[in-house]
Amino acid sequence: MRLAEKSIALSRASIGSNRWRRFLARFDWPLFATMAVLAAIGLLNLYSATARTPHYGKFQQQILWMLAGVGCYVIVTAIDYRTLHRMAWFGLVAALIAIVGVRLLSDPIKGSQRWLEIGGLTLQPSEIAKIAIIVGMARLFHDRSMGEMKSWAELAPPLVMIGLPVLLVAIQPDLGTSILLALIVASVSFLLAVNLWPAVIAAGVAVCLVPLFWDKLLGYQQDRVLAFLDPSADPTGAGWHTQQSIFAVGSGRLTGKGFLEATQNHFNFLPEHWTDFPFSVWAEEWGFVGSVALILVFGFLILWTVNVALQARDRFGTAICLGMAAMLFWHVVVNIAMVIGLAPVVGVTLPFISYGGSSTITFFVGLGLVSSVSLRRSGY
Amino acid sequence: MLIRSAPGDAPRSPELHRRLRWLVVVVAGVFLILIGRLWQLQIIRGDEYYELARSNVVAERFLPSVRGKILDRNGTPVADNRPAFHIYVTPRLLDDAGAARLIEILRLDPDEAARLKERLAVARQRHPGRAAMVLEDVGRDRRGLVAQARLELGNGVEVRDEPYRDYPFGTVAAHLIGYMNQPSSKELVDLEQHGYDSSEFIGRYGIEKEWEPFLHGRRGIERFITNAKGEKVDDPSKDDLIQGPKFEAPVPGNDVVLTIDLRLQQIAEKAVKSASAAAAAVVEVDTGRILALVSTPSFDPNVMTGHLTRAEDDRMKDDPRMPYVDKTLQQHYSPGSTYKIVVAGAALQDGLASQHEKLGCQREYKVGRRVFHCLGSHGVIDMLEAIQRSCNIYFWKLSERVGIDRMAEVARDFGFGAPTGLGLNSEVPGRVPDKAYYDKAGGFQIGNTLNTATGQGDDAVTVLQLLMAYAAIANGGRLYAPQLVQKVVAASGEVVAEYQPVQRRRIKLSAATLDVLRQGMWRVVNAPGGTAYEGGRSRLIDIAGKTGTAQVRSVRQSEADRSSGDWHPTRAHAWFAGWAPAFEPEIAVVVLVEHGGHGGAVSAPIARQIIEGYFTEIKHMPMPLEPPPADLLQKLKKKAKKP
Repeated sequence: MRLAEKSIALSRASIGSNRWRRFLARFDWPLFATMAVLAAIGLLNLYSATARTPHYGKFQQQILWMLAGVGCYVIVTAIDYRTLHRMAWFGLVAALIAIVGVRLLSDPIKGSQRWLEIGGLTLQPSEIAKIAIIVGMARLFHDRSMGEMKSWAELAPPLVMIGLPVLLVAIQPDLGTSILLALIVASVSFLLAVNLWPAVIAAGVAVCLVPLFWDKLLGYQQDRVLAFLDPSADPTGAGWHTQQSIFAVGSGRLTGKGFLEATQNHFNFLPEHWTDFPFSVWAEEWGFVGSVALILVFGFLILWTVNVALQARDRFGTAICLGMAAMLFWHVVVNIAMVIGLAPVVGVTLPFISYGGSSTITFFVGLGLVSSVSLRRSGY
Repeated sequence: MLIRSAPGDAPRSPELHRRLRWLVVVVAGVFLILIGRLWQLQIIRGDEYYELARSNVVAERFLPSVRGKILDRNGTPVADNRPAFHIYVTPRLLDDAGAARLIEILRLDPDEAARLKERLAVARQRHPGRAAMVLEDVGRDRRGLVAQARLELGNGVEVRDEPYRDYPFGTVAAHLIGYMNQPSSKELVDLEQHGYDSSEFIGRYGIEKEWEPFLHGRRGIERFITNAKGEKVDDPSKDDLIQGPKFEAPVPGNDVVLTIDLRLQQIAEKAVKSASAAAAAVVEVDTGRILALVSTPSFDPNVMTGHLTRAEDDRMKDDPRMPYVDKTLQQHYSPGSTYKIVVAGAALQDGLASQHEKLGCQREYKVGRRVFHCLGSHGVIDMLEAIQRSCNIYFWKLSERVGIDRMAEVARDFGFGAPTGLGLNSEVPGRVPDKAYYDKAGGFQIGNTLNTATGQGDDAVTVLQLLMAYAAIANGGRLYAPQLVQKVVAASGEVVAEYQPVQRRRIKLSAATLDVLRQGMWRVVNAPGGTAYEGGRSRLIDIAGKTGTAQVRSVRQSEADRSSGDWHPTRAHAWFAGWAPAFEPEIAVVVLVEHGGHGGAVSAPIARQIIEGYFTEIKHMPMPLEPPPADLLQKLKKKAKKP
């Protein structure tokens, strides 16, 4: 009896250690390492951006966010992503409720309502909604195999489910996030839809809706878009950020001014540069060399995620990874383009580099999903 | 309830792979665009942006230099500096809403508000990161208002305490001293090359304008590191971003010492006060140094320097007496009888007449079919009496002998028809008509000669020209260039430049000729019946001179209506030109009362007051006392005996 109990306990322990060893062996280390490099760069850059300013506390705060993020990453990796298949629609509904909740409950911060305050922490549901939408799309493309995607009647309900949050975020109004959501949905659709025509038509309709939405945009959003089209028109107003950001990036020249030497950022020529403009700090201090290196790291991460998508054991996993790759890609491109004056200033963060809890956790969770798919690519 | 999927069950459809190839192309393409843009910003235009980012954090603050003073010959400052508060705005740190709030806080009137906005717009366009003056010389109240709103307005608005131009004697010698104001944005382009800052005023008129390069010092610069809010950052590690020295001390301007004697200037200004529009000038006959130069009505340079409102400016411009015009040299007038020195001098010099020749005057003089009128019926008189009583017919007869061209030659020799070379307020040349001139103007007639001889033709002179010509007659024929600036002195006391009298030439009239003129002009003032005997004779000193009453030719009705007090555009200009003492001359004086009437009655008394003032108050010549009353003398004698 005692022996039997002992042997069971032993076998359980051996099974446990076996699982742990297997977990470590199958764990996607290149993915984790790339992410860690980006997180390190992000912390380094944040330190420089806030050092010797009243905002230096943000550095420690961000370390906490990152630790929490890594925790989420490990947990999400451990959870089998396939369990999310069941929860996909539930997740979308939860995201919808959160977005509507923000609209109804929270006080307006900075002119538009994007934050939900829960026990002292402010949460941005629109960030979490990105994950929910990616998972929702993955279920859509998994359930309806390529041949079935023809009937409009079948396509309509899931499309509505996915389109609604995009619309709600746009009304919120958070121009940057809603554009990003639309771009992610479009990217995944173009990759996975059998028949491209519904996606093309949807995109066409969306473009046609832009002029209608123009009047709905808040004044400052219109200013930003106009300032992008003609930055010199109002150099003190909306064009100021773009102009100063370009000065910062350009003044980095080939090798940069060196760590902690970015004058544009240290002397506050870019307000709140740690959220929307961290790339300008990086480019100013590390120059063209550092900027290109950072872009290449992002490029590697995106291609690696696509690679995971190709090796996934099912269409659900493939769609999740492609969705994450699209999210990373569009975040990086829109944020950098905005910093170097190729896009209007919209609140889009740079993954792992920007300061902020919601954004950081979202990317850790998202890549955790990719890691989970990667872990189970071949019988786990 | 997991999805049933097995390892290796991946959806490796060829369609997905085909699209993924496109995906890689798109990702690579977009990243290449980003990198290309970075190349453009950081490599191609990197140096340019580096410089822009550097200028962002390096602030230049200009330290005002103290402008040189303008002093009279005795060292009394007529243009000085006083402390004042100015409002400066750094355009980058103040948006339009902030500017509107500033206007509200200061309770600016629309005029001032418009000026502030205009200057802010110019500054924003030129140097958005540099503080520019938007409102000068604000009072303590407004300074306090800005200080109170400091938190609300931020670092974009500041009040600076800087020297400001001050003219302690107000309107006295205003045309001569001039005034200053802010340069326009167009002028700034050029001025900045010469070390000016947009907040600096420049001389606009008079000495302030012409001697600007001497008076204007060189502003200093303080360079420091600043953040986006315009706050000074104390970070020595960033000091290498500063190009050039961190501190350049301002260099004060040089003082300009005038030949003007302020006391005489004030005496002269007081003397012409009775006239509503007049000019007066006094010169040392032996040096050509100007002692006083008056033009009325005048303006207040303290108002003109930064406090001129549009309404005031319009009022000045509308005034028919033209306060902005310097009547001593910017405007020429018919000289009237003061011009008879030309024809008399020519006739004597050429031997066409002698001082003893007697000619008859019966009030009317017929030339061809035209009849010319003299002011009176002077009978048969010689040249001295003709000068004394200003007989027109005598000189008309002489002019027919001399001829128009010879008169013009002598007139030019006296300095008429060309600027005297004072170098101030765009001096006009006047006009010396000759035959060719009249031919061109519509055909020469003998009447032109007659009119020109008595200063009623197309001849025109400035007060200053007449002054220098009469000084030359007084001093025996030496024609000087008028001199206004004696020397330029640096702030250290070192004399930068000193100017000696310049004799232009000797007038080609013999001593005997000039003597006749001088004797005639002594009689004008001192012999009973002389045109200035009543008005110009002084108990104190012998004055010699000539009156002139220049008829004004027909004016348009609209102009005739624009009268002001004594001043009426149809009345004659009243002249007196002379010197004193009559036979040992020291100073020459010319007085013109615009549309004042008869020269002897109006201008001669003014000239006498100026001359008497000069000899009593400056030369301290004792005034001859009336004998005291007899009873007072007796009382005094009694008192003296008692103790």
